[in-house]
Amino acid sequence: MKKIFPHPERDTSPTVWRSLDERENSAIFNEGLGREFSDAATGNEAGPSGLSRRDFVRLMGAATAITGVGLTGCRRPEAHLVPFAKSAEWTIPGKFLYYASSMPSPVGAVPLIVTTTDGRPTKIEGNPLHPASNGSTDAFAQASVLDLYDPNRSKEITFNSVRSNRSELDNLLADIRSKAGETAGEGIAVLVGRDHSPTINRLHASISKQFPKLIWVADEAISIRESEAANAASLGAGLKPIYDFQQADVILSMDSDFLNPAAYGLGFSRGFAQRRNPGQKMNRLYVAENHFSLTGGMADHRLRVRSSEIGDFAATLAGIIAVKTSDSNLAALSKAFQSSSESMNASQPGDFEKSWLNGVADDLISARGRSIVIAGAQQTKAVQILTMAINASIGNLGSTVKAGQTNGNPGPTLEDLCSAINAGSVKTLLILGNNPVHSAPPGLDFPNLLSSIPQTLHLSLFEDETSKVCHWHVPAAHYLERWGDSRSFDGTICPVQPMILPLWNGVSTVEILTQLAGEKADGLTAVQTTFNSYSHDSTAGAWNAFLRNGFASGTQWPVVNPAFNQETALAALKTSGSTSPSGDLSGEFEVVFLRSSSVDDGRYAGNSWLQETPDFVTKLVWDNAALLSPADARMLGVKDGDFVKITAGNRSVQAAALVAPGHADKSVSIALGYGRQGNSHVMEKVGFDAYPLRSSGLGFRRGVKVEALPCAPYVFARTQEHQNMEGRDIAREGTLETFKKSPGFASEMDGEQLKPVSIYPNPPLTSDLQWGLSVDLNSCIGCNACIVACQAENNIPVVGKDQVRRGRDMAWIRIDRWFSSADHKEESLEMIPMAVMCQQCESAPCEAVCPANATVHSEEGLNLMAYNRCIGTRYCANNCPWKVRRFNWFDYNERPLDELYYGPLAPKGMADSLKMSKNPNVTVRMRGVMEKCTFCIQRIEEAKISRSVQAGASDVTKTPMPVFKTACQQACPSESIVFGNIRDPESPVSKLKDDPRTYSSLSYLNTRPRVTYMARIRNPNPAMPGAELVGAANRREEHA
Amino acid sequence: MSTASTMNPAASPSPDLGVLERPPQVLNNRGPLWVTDAVCSIVEGKTPLWWYAAITFTGTFAAIGGACILYMIVTGVGVWGSNNPCFWAWDITNFIFWVSMAHAGSLISALLFLTRQKWSLSISRAAEAMTVFAIICAGVYPAIHIGRVWMVWWLFPIPNSYGMWPNFSSPLLWDVFAVTSYLTVSSLFWFAGMIPDLAVLRDRATTKVRKFAYGIVSLGWLGTARQWRHYEMMYVLLAGLTSVLVVTVTTIVASDCATSVVPGWHATIFPFYFMVGAVYSGSAAILTLLLPLRLIYPQLRDLITPSQLDKVCKLLLMMGSCVAYVYVIELFNAWYSANPFERGAFWERFTGSSAWYAITCLSINLTIPQLFWFKAVRRCLPLVFILAILCNVGMWFERFMIVTSTLTHGFLPSSWKDFHPTIVDILTATGTLGIFFTLFLLFIRFVPIMSMNELKAVLPGTQQGNSAGEGH
Repeated sequence: MKKIFPHPERDTSPTVWRSLDERENSAIFNEGLGREFSDAATGNEAGPSGLSRRDFVRLMGAATAITGVGLTGCRRPEAHLVPFAKSAEWTIPGKFLYYASSMPSPVGAVPLIVTTTDGRPTKIEGNPLHPASNGSTDAFAQASVLDLYDPNRSKEITFNSVRSNRSELDNLLADIRSKAGETAGEGIAVLVGRDHSPTINRLHASISKQFPKLIWVADEAISIRESEAANAASLGAGLKPIYDFQQADVILSMDSDFLNPAAYGLGFSRGFAQRRNPGQKMNRLYVAENHFSLTGGMADHRLRVRSSEIGDFAATLAGIIAVKTSDSNLAALSKAFQSSSESMNASQPGDFEKSWLNGVADDLISARGRSIVIAGAQQTKAVQILTMAINASIGNLGSTVKAGQTNGNPGPTLEDLCSAINAGSVKTLLILGNNPVHSAPPGLDFPNLLSSIPQTLHLSLFEDETSKVCHWHVPAAHYLERWGDSRSFDGTICPVQPMILPLWNGVSTVEILTQLAGEKADGLTAVQTTFNSYSHDSTAGAWNAFLRNGFASGTQWPVVNPAFNQETALAALKTSGSTSPSGDLSGEFEVVFLRSSSVDDGRYAGNSWLQETPDFVTKLVWDNAALLSPADARMLGVKDGDFVKITAGNRSVQAAALVAPGHADKSVSIALGYGRQGNSHVMEKVGFDAYPLRSSGLGFRRGVKVEALPCAPYVFARTQEHQNMEGRDIAREGTLETFKKSPGFASEMDGEQLKPVSIYPNPPLTSDLQWGLSVDLNSCIGCNACIVACQAENNIPVVGKDQVRRGRDMAWIRIDRWFSSADHKEESLEMIPMAVMCQQCESAPCEAVCPANATVHSEEGLNLMAYNRCIGTRYCANNCPWKVRRFNWFDYNERPLDELYYGPLAPKGMADSLKMSKNPNVTVRMRGVMEKCTFCIQRIEEAKISRSVQAGASDVTKTPMPVFKTACQQACPSESIVFGNIRDPESPVSKLKDDPRTYSSLSYLNTRPRVTYMARIRNPNPAMPGAELVGAANRREEHA
Repeated sequence: MSTASTMNPAASPSPDLGVLERPPQVLNNRGPLWVTDAVCSIVEGKTPLWWYAAITFTGTFAAIGGACILYMIVTGVGVWGSNNPCFWAWDITNFIFWVSMAHAGSLISALLFLTRQKWSLSISRAAEAMTVFAIICAGVYPAIHIGRVWMVWWLFPIPNSYGMWPNFSSPLLWDVFAVTSYLTVSSLFWFAGMIPDLAVLRDRATTKVRKFAYGIVSLGWLGTARQWRHYEMMYVLLAGLTSVLVVTVTTIVASDCATSVVPGWHATIFPFYFMVGAVYSGSAAILTLLLPLRLIYPQLRDLITPSQLDKVCKLLLMMGSCVAYVYVIELFNAWYSANPFERGAFWERFTGSSAWYAITCLSINLTIPQLFWFKAVRRCLPLVFILAILCNVGMWFERFMIVTSTLTHGFLPSSWKDFHPTIVDILTATGTLGIFFTLFLLFIRFVPIMSMNELKAVLPGTQQGNSAGEGH
């Protein structure tokens, strides 16, 4: 602890002075007076790694303090520094400790179990107790641990770019509070994200009560307000539809990527996947969308429809269903939409579309009460209302579509805040977490409005675009280093626990709001107070159970059986034109704004793991692109990488185009969140900012002009450049009918199998543990969660765009995305994602060719990689048919990615904070060695050690293995990856290997892979147009 | 040299039979002294200006190549353009190219020596030198192309404290043994052949330094009958060993490809493929080296006769035709296998984004050697020189095609990716060319470039010269 030196009162204008600062009586001088040593002397100067020596020691100590002493809910929290030498009794150095927490997110918190190593959170897993996770996570949650340790995080409280400190921040907040007290909050505005934190809601209520005139805005860049408004109009205020995909036999998605766990939570994909088993009653998915989404890839029937025509699509469908069911209410809604200004009044649907719509309508009606129609949250209010009306008409409300009663009126929007600022009624603005300077529609002119406010404060993890405009910048505490709470998708309240003290003095939103609300409480107390307000049991036991379980059971939104309110819905539909995009509609294109699979709305732009995780469909890394249909690309004369100029209204954006198979014509899609101008090199010069094209929070904009620009093409980095299987049966699929006729159709594609012979004696597989893995292509949606989970678990380095472009990405598990079209037309295009990792061949081609014996076989059937022995001939990788081996072409861990080619002239070393993020059980590989998937051997060995401990003197092979999962399996939301002991006939993986759908890829090579795949089954509706082309990825012409 | 004359059964004189005279191996009735002067004068004369210019040029490239290798070692293999899936590219391309070129040298000197083909005597020394230098160039690549060069000794079966042996089933390990033995034996063969000639230089030396230096390397050669007896015995043995090695080393290098599972590599024809390709490219290389020499040193025109060059051209023609045959058979096999991966590999090789390697390779190797059917072409030495260079370019592209376009288009189209060389790749490749020519220039300057002792044995008027071609 630093000493505080009491100084005698000082003359404020001294005649004799030691420095100009003293003479001017500056704040810095006064601050320094109270200190024994200057910052430089105390070693607080951060080195190039972004962390000073003192910081590091403090962090390590602090980390120990948390694990050792408490803050975990077991003891009262203390904030002393405790050296490692005095760690608490139950911590075993090197052993993991697990804590329940959750990651707040606007789409619903992800309930988590956080793995900590010696006080450092190193790995995120889903909370298996929580129904919204079931142990799985999405890619964003997996990658969030890297944000915590990001050396580019903001580290200083600053005022007008000058370093400030916490006490000045406290003074500022006290000052704001006292001012607010005088004016009842007039002139003060707070802008927060929509993280659904009960504590923030409680503090909001308290603040609003004390300062009724304070403006409180909760908004997000990718807004769901249209859908909220629609739900309020059609179902009732605050009602949020909850879809039960497990009960749905027929599903129609209209521009909704509901299977994307990062956009809609983990529950949907899991419920959906459980109904894809062809052995039981299989569901059927229809998708109408403008670009290939994950959901579109899973579709049994997919129709390319422009986003802006989804309204007409829905209205036509509603009309057809209304006729077929004689539902006059639905007919009225359909007609109301078609006469509204939102209708595109597009030419009448063609024959194909008509029979498509009829087929869907018939199928939906026949599955009355067992179907779901869902529209994308980014669609307009009118579309949402129509969707809900269709659900109501075919009896889904109350059966497959229920509703949760949220407590919420979403409150004023960013637009409301801007008009208040314009009116001059905002004198102080606190922006807690959002980045509106980047994401606000340019029509609002937010940056200028912001600079017109006399006092602005911005709280964020990174110094971003908004921080640069605000007077005060406060580094935010990462969710792994602060107290908080959150609600998951179904409303269940989860705790947010700190795993480590704030690395760089981050402050949490809760802490700022408690000060504003006048509560003399730290984060923990504030969260505990909230807990006591809704918990029926206010004992310490209940609180501990809340922390231990990671959620408070029974706190989900009350579920009601909603009723469709025809009057309000019709009224809302008639006025919907006003909110829909209008203006100059002369351009013939539409632009569709996508939620990026890598950076979300831009918030993860600094996360290099996510930047290097390929886009679900385009397989693009470190970039976004303007996606165009092949026909449009031909029409405009652009190829991959050529620039196009997208003009919407009076703004235009230049972006490089990418031809996207399966994309709707006259439509251009571009992911949001790129083109950031932060202070981190990770996000600089990455992609194109699409926010300037937006005029509202909607997911698309009509009347856009797209023209080709004659300039040098842009260079994209894609992890997969060839999308066609070339007639090779790599990913296999069939229809439900094929499966019923011949369940083993997938392995029959190999033709006659000869008796396997090998000229080499294969290594003996003597152990009672024989590891194997099964990937179910039928439920794999291709969501990337496994890729990031593997990266976090196995210390896989990031290599940067240039290296990916050269084909040197390091991911141990990749998702190959195949496009196939039985008749080579866009209409019948299908997508099959296929996770590929080391196949752990029993007769491995890589092992035979390594001259150094660096890759050998274990008696458990694992293909081992001895990094120490590897000299890097790369022969193994050449001989690997699956190309899953990864080579360290450079010292990716130790050298800056933009200076890889400088060799020894580049600075060497990893930022200290990044070292803390590594899994201590996995070697960090050096340059010149090969690496690959190990089936998470560190987890296998850990389980074997526990088994040995448990067995003691008894026979270890008789002792059951503890249950454990590989990192990819654990993260998988749809449970399509299953790992285990194939020698145990009762293990889940053994049973899956006996499934008739199971096949080995490239089995003719006789390498006997331990990874097997289960064929994908599509469930086409024979009445649909093009049904005969569904599930035909492996169909070939006779002569081939 | 040969003791064959003593065993010649056809010693009975029958000159009046209408035997077609073989062309003499040395023209213009030159005598032994003239041969000694002609060959030694190249070494003994004043260093010509062109030599300085040439070695500066090649030395610069060699130095740049060396710098690139150093840069690669301290920075990482990533400075090359290799990628996933093309983990090997120019490194192994150049390795195969050089090691193949080496084979022709050994074949011409050793195999033709054993089979008593006198026409190769004048070119055998240069061919052997080419072999040694080409192996040096080839050996550079496997040594440096690995990720952790400082661990390269793990490739050798050295007893160590880990108790670990290399993996004897790996063709790369066979490569190590093959290339090291080949370098050893072919260097010995080359050097052994030079000993009597080095002794001549020693005896003719005018300065003490030269006398001392050539005295050391001629290993005390006196030219006694006893020494000749031992010497010729050893030379025959080494020739036999070298001839066997030519076949085994190509087979082993071909095994790198053939034993893998990669479609486009996994083929039993590869050893033959590499063998004929090797002799083809080596013959072309010899022509490329000898024709300029003949131009610079006019006295050599009597020693390297048009009829000998004609025979090399015929060898080129034959091997070129074998190469063409292999191309056809490879394609036929791919089609006949009905294996989609095999077919796909060749389809991509000729139609894919990197088809121009294959097209360059095929258009040269299928057409250029066929021009040698025409005597007019074989006798037009400037044309032969240009065509020989083209053949080597074609062969380089063949190696490039085999290594690169196979790896870039493997089993899973998802991992297909093209290869693009970097400047370091290019400068390393030109660097090895620089090393090769630098060594060859040094060879011209300091060592007798022809086997004087063997040539003298086939001079017109000597026993062998008179009976050339008889009974052999």
